[in-house]
Amino acid sequence: MSTDPITMEIVRNGLNAIAEEMNANLARSAFSPIIYEMKDCSVAIFNEDCDLLGQAPGLPIFLGALAPAVRAVKEHFSKSGIQEGDIYALNDPYLVGSHLNDVTVVSPVFIDDELVGFTANKAHWLDMGSKDAGVSVDTTEVYQEGLRFGPIRLYDKGEAQDDILDILARNSRLPLSILGDLHAQVAACRSGERRYQEFLSAFGLDMVRECTKEIFRQAEASDRAFVKSIPDGVYSAEGYMDSDGSDEEPVKIAVEVTIRDTEMHLDLSGSSLQRKGCTNCGIAQTISAAQLAYKFIVNPEQTPNGGNFRALSVTAPEGTIFAAQEPAACDFYASPSGLMIELTLKALSEAIVGRIPAGGPHDQMNFIVAGRDENGTLFITGEASAVGWGALPDADGPNATVCYMAGDLKNLPAEVEEAKFPLRVNCRTLEEDSGGAGRFRGGLAMIKEYEAVAPGVSLLLWLERTVTPGWGVAGGKDGQTARCIWDLGGTEERTMTKANHFALPVGKAIRCHTAGGGGYGPPWERDIQGIIDDVLDGYVTRQAAEVEYGVRWGEGRMIVDEHATKEARSTLAKSYS
Amino acid sequence: MSSVRVAVDIGGTFTDIVVLDSVDGTTKVEKVLSTPDDLSRGIFEGLEQALPSNASIEFFVHGTTAGLNAFLERKGAHAALITTLGFRDVYEIARANRPDMYNLFYRKPTPLIRRRHIFELKERMLYNGEVLTDIDDDALIELAKKIAEGDYDSVAVCLLHSYVNPDHELRVGEALLEHAPGVSVSLSHQVAREWREYERTSTTALNAYVAPIVVNYLSQLEKKAQSSGMQSGVHIMQSNGGIMTSAAARERPVQTLFSGPVGGTMGGMSLQSQLEQDHLLCIDMGGTSFDVSLIVDGSADLTLETELEGFTVLAPVVNMHTIGAGGGSVAWLEAGGLRVGPQSAGARPGPACYGQGGTDPTVTDANLVLGRIPEKFLSGDMRLDLAAAQGSLVDLSKSLGLSSEALAEGIVDIVNAKMANAIRALTVERGIDPRQFTVVAYGGAGPLHAVFLAKELSIPTVVVPYAPGTFSAWGMLHTDIKHDFVRSFFYKVAETSAEAVETVLGELISEGSETLLGEGVSNERMRFRRTADVRYVGQEYFLNIELPDSIDETSFASLPEKFHDAYLTRYGHSNPEESIEFVNLRVSAVGELPRHTEDSSGKPKSRQASPRTTRQVIFEGNAVESGVYDRSDLKPGDRFDGPAIVEELSCTTVVPPLVEALVDAYGNIVIRVGSNQE
Repeated sequence: MSTDPITMEIVRNGLNAIAEEMNANLARSAFSPIIYEMKDCSVAIFNEDCDLLGQAPGLPIFLGALAPAVRAVKEHFSKSGIQEGDIYALNDPYLVGSHLNDVTVVSPVFIDDELVGFTANKAHWLDMGSKDAGVSVDTTEVYQEGLRFGPIRLYDKGEAQDDILDILARNSRLPLSILGDLHAQVAACRSGERRYQEFLSAFGLDMVRECTKEIFRQAEASDRAFVKSIPDGVYSAEGYMDSDGSDEEPVKIAVEVTIRDTEMHLDLSGSSLQRKGCTNCGIAQTISAAQLAYKFIVNPEQTPNGGNFRALSVTAPEGTIFAAQEPAACDFYASPSGLMIELTLKALSEAIVGRIPAGGPHDQMNFIVAGRDENGTLFITGEASAVGWGALPDADGPNATVCYMAGDLKNLPAEVEEAKFPLRVNCRTLEEDSGGAGRFRGGLAMIKEYEAVAPGVSLLLWLERTVTPGWGVAGGKDGQTARCIWDLGGTEERTMTKANHFALPVGKAIRCHTAGGGGYGPPWERDIQGIIDDVLDGYVTRQAAEVEYGVRWGEGRMIVDEHATKEARSTLAKSYS
Repeated sequence: MSSVRVAVDIGGTFTDIVVLDSVDGTTKVEKVLSTPDDLSRGIFEGLEQALPSNASIEFFVHGTTAGLNAFLERKGAHAALITTLGFRDVYEIARANRPDMYNLFYRKPTPLIRRRHIFELKERMLYNGEVLTDIDDDALIELAKKIAEGDYDSVAVCLLHSYVNPDHELRVGEALLEHAPGVSVSLSHQVAREWREYERTSTTALNAYVAPIVVNYLSQLEKKAQSSGMQSGVHIMQSNGGIMTSAAARERPVQTLFSGPVGGTMGGMSLQSQLEQDHLLCIDMGGTSFDVSLIVDGSADLTLETELEGFTVLAPVVNMHTIGAGGGSVAWLEAGGLRVGPQSAGARPGPACYGQGGTDPTVTDANLVLGRIPEKFLSGDMRLDLAAAQGSLVDLSKSLGLSSEALAEGIVDIVNAKMANAIRALTVERGIDPRQFTVVAYGGAGPLHAVFLAKELSIPTVVVPYAPGTFSAWGMLHTDIKHDFVRSFFYKVAETSAEAVETVLGELISEGSETLLGEGVSNERMRFRRTADVRYVGQEYFLNIELPDSIDETSFASLPEKFHDAYLTRYGHSNPEESIEFVNLRVSAVGELPRHTEDSSGKPKSRQASPRTTRQVIFEGNAVESGVYDRSDLKPGDRFDGPAIVEELSCTTVVPPLVEALVDAYGNIVIRVGSNQE
């Protein structure tokens, strides 16, 4: 048998199917909802050179996160000997990116005593013994964020290392939960190991190796062909995060993208030095986020493999937020990652005009609630916040949807939240006029208001885009910024943006507004019927239709005075030129 | 004239009619063109061809696509939605997720009810059923009048926590009945009494959206049936694998959505006794898609929640895994690699060999080039254009440096491997071993590919039933009346009692028997299947556990053990020390229908069948002389060996070399694939 195109396609589909199967295994046996319900995890299979063979879709931000972990394991244990039945784990953010709560588990795969690959997965553990339950917004050193481990051997030739499991359990506020999730991760790795072995014996190791070489070549070729279609040049963009959680200083992020023939280079040298607060990224995190930005543009519909990303290189000097060094705190690594992705897209929008959406608030925002339930058991709950996406070149931005990095992450139903936790949700609605005006309108932000119904509940709040809005493009307006109002209408009313485990007394509500997306194209070019529909649906108020879009209402509820509107719109257009 | 039982299944192209003679058990099949302008016209035209008089019909069952089509074509009712104050946007925000990971241009599905038609009502129920804010009657009347003025055909009502305490929804329903008469009302606790407000809203909105269309269609159908002389009532196939009377279907439109494809699974159900196998893998391959469903331990594998174009539907539905792989799937090149599907040439222009102007190479073209389907069928007028099929492969075979035969076989191999992966997703990924199953293959292209799939998955036996092209309709004739009832029941098992569980189940059973009585089912024909959704405390996903017919202290005490065992089987591990809790209690109320019991007169005599003709068919790169059989020639007891092809109306069965086939006492073709385990 030679590597004909038919076998190759069957092998390509088969490898992804193995990853899908591991993923299903992880989801159905995990202990925590954050894994099985919110899918805060990622699963993949690698060859012996740590090249990606197949991946199941998990959190988009974890797209490139497993390869560095597998490489670190291989490097670390090669000397002492990698053995069949071993299982390794690590969470060191400087080695594998993200934060301590994301734990990667790796299993080697052998055929006849030969190391032929690895299966790996990464999942969010609810509590790593950080200074506060779950995560904190105000850490300044990684040591405050919980237990950190480099590659460790969890199973030695199939034997669980109980001493190590004991250390993990004793350092967490939720030992049952993290051990339950760890077992699910190990089971997923093992199931992938078995299936990959069966697969290799069905097709033959040499045949699979030949096929994957060609599969990688094809992926690289189609990536490079795409990059080549982007005009050569240097494109840049910069922006600021509101703060790093420790003080009120904005955090600068600068992106310079160089396209030369079939190569894309991302230079982050102009970004802030590593910060005291927890908005730092290990270099592995930075590369993973850069790969996600690249994937959004280059062949997004193709399932990724080891041949992708070869056209991409990244520079981030040591000691900056994108190549942070110990002891930099990393809890909210996702916010700089998200803004960097968006700025990369913004920079490239000069080169690939009409194919990049307007700005949306795609740096992560979190509302996390912790406390004790009626039995005194600790609970930690939160949800991916829904934001308004930037408008597309040919359509309005989606309303209230999770950010670019979060993918299939789901919010929490109020009926579930109220039944399980001492909370009451007062509303979950779209915020009218929060989408940037434009020929195509930015997506609307979401408002969620809730209150505690029992004592001992605290809120962790991480808002971004309270200062810098989701930007409009090509004459479109910016979206609404984010904010949170405490004790609305009460004696203690005030606005908040970040708060670390803030006590929620019973009966005082907190109202969180996420941010809206930017508009695309000049508002005065928006189709009149589109504006009328927006007003009818309450996405845009009558007043905003006048001020932003230059609509002049005639007699009757929804009648537009066409003549006056035409004049008002040409005045608007002139005032901008 | 004797009495007959009739099933009608309406598809995109054909309306299939199966007539079963209640006395001698003979079956007659009729295929007529569907009439999309007025679907029921096709039914009665077909019946005219099939039967001298509709008066002989003693039982009539129908898989309707009226609701699904209204949804797919977005031609549903003008509907409004009423929500709790503060929750107007639950329907649009949904769960805020986006399954399409790397797509910058992702768009949410457009809601079936626009925001301008969504109204808030000031009221609030708590999670435990206590009222926090009562409804203000004046405000309610005002809202009901607004609905009346709004010219709506239909209203969905979904209030927070109504699954615990439906009182507020019932009051809204009454107000609408009084102040907005004639408007169809869907109350969420009646459509899907389960927690999670988005999922319940989505299901209720969908119900409201299709209700007036389904009700109108069914009323018309009932009238026409009556005036055509039909004495029996009309029964409708439901998504849950049971049937119900047309009158009941008018009350539960959302249950009719997947009425059609489920028929095939029910056909599998009724093959169980013939095949003496209670683990069946039902595969249906048509022009654009491949659907797999399972029968496990003698029951159709159901899912309690499903998705339709991004909208969640909370309803028990036969678990159907669908991928875009069919006869029309197109082969194409990506960066020098060969891909097949999911794009399809559809019915128009269709595969190149249909001669309707298609030029893309499809799976059907590949099968024709391989000789697996004929240019001209043994019976019937259908002809395929071999030259066009070969022509469609030219560009690809040049680019890949393959002969057109090798390319054709490759296209078929790739699509087979994809289908095998789809079967793995439904079995292996859920801890089910496919090797314990027998494949039942039907639909136009199922029997063409089934043996290859079975080989890939080490499944020993493939069965091609009688008339595989109309198998779904046939299956509907062998189905019982069924209704599902559910009640949320959030109690830790240790903190509730056998008595409390019995009380709720008793209520569900009396609802069930009332519904069945209303459908004319006598008490002795009623059966109730009692189950509970149970999970580890704090987990989200549950397992559905069967409960005994009456629960006493002993059987209640053994429940945790039963759960841990089921968990272990399903997930490969369990935590016997962990406590468990109930989520829902469920009752399936089944009304058994009388049916013709087929008796085979013992083991038929074995005999070698002889082919009508032979032709060259390509298997693994070699053209092999293969016997071509006409299905109508094959009688019980006939045996034949691969390589062989069996042709019949709108379907071809491929039996590759080194594989044996026989016709069983019931006329099924049973193919022994052999397996790696043997």
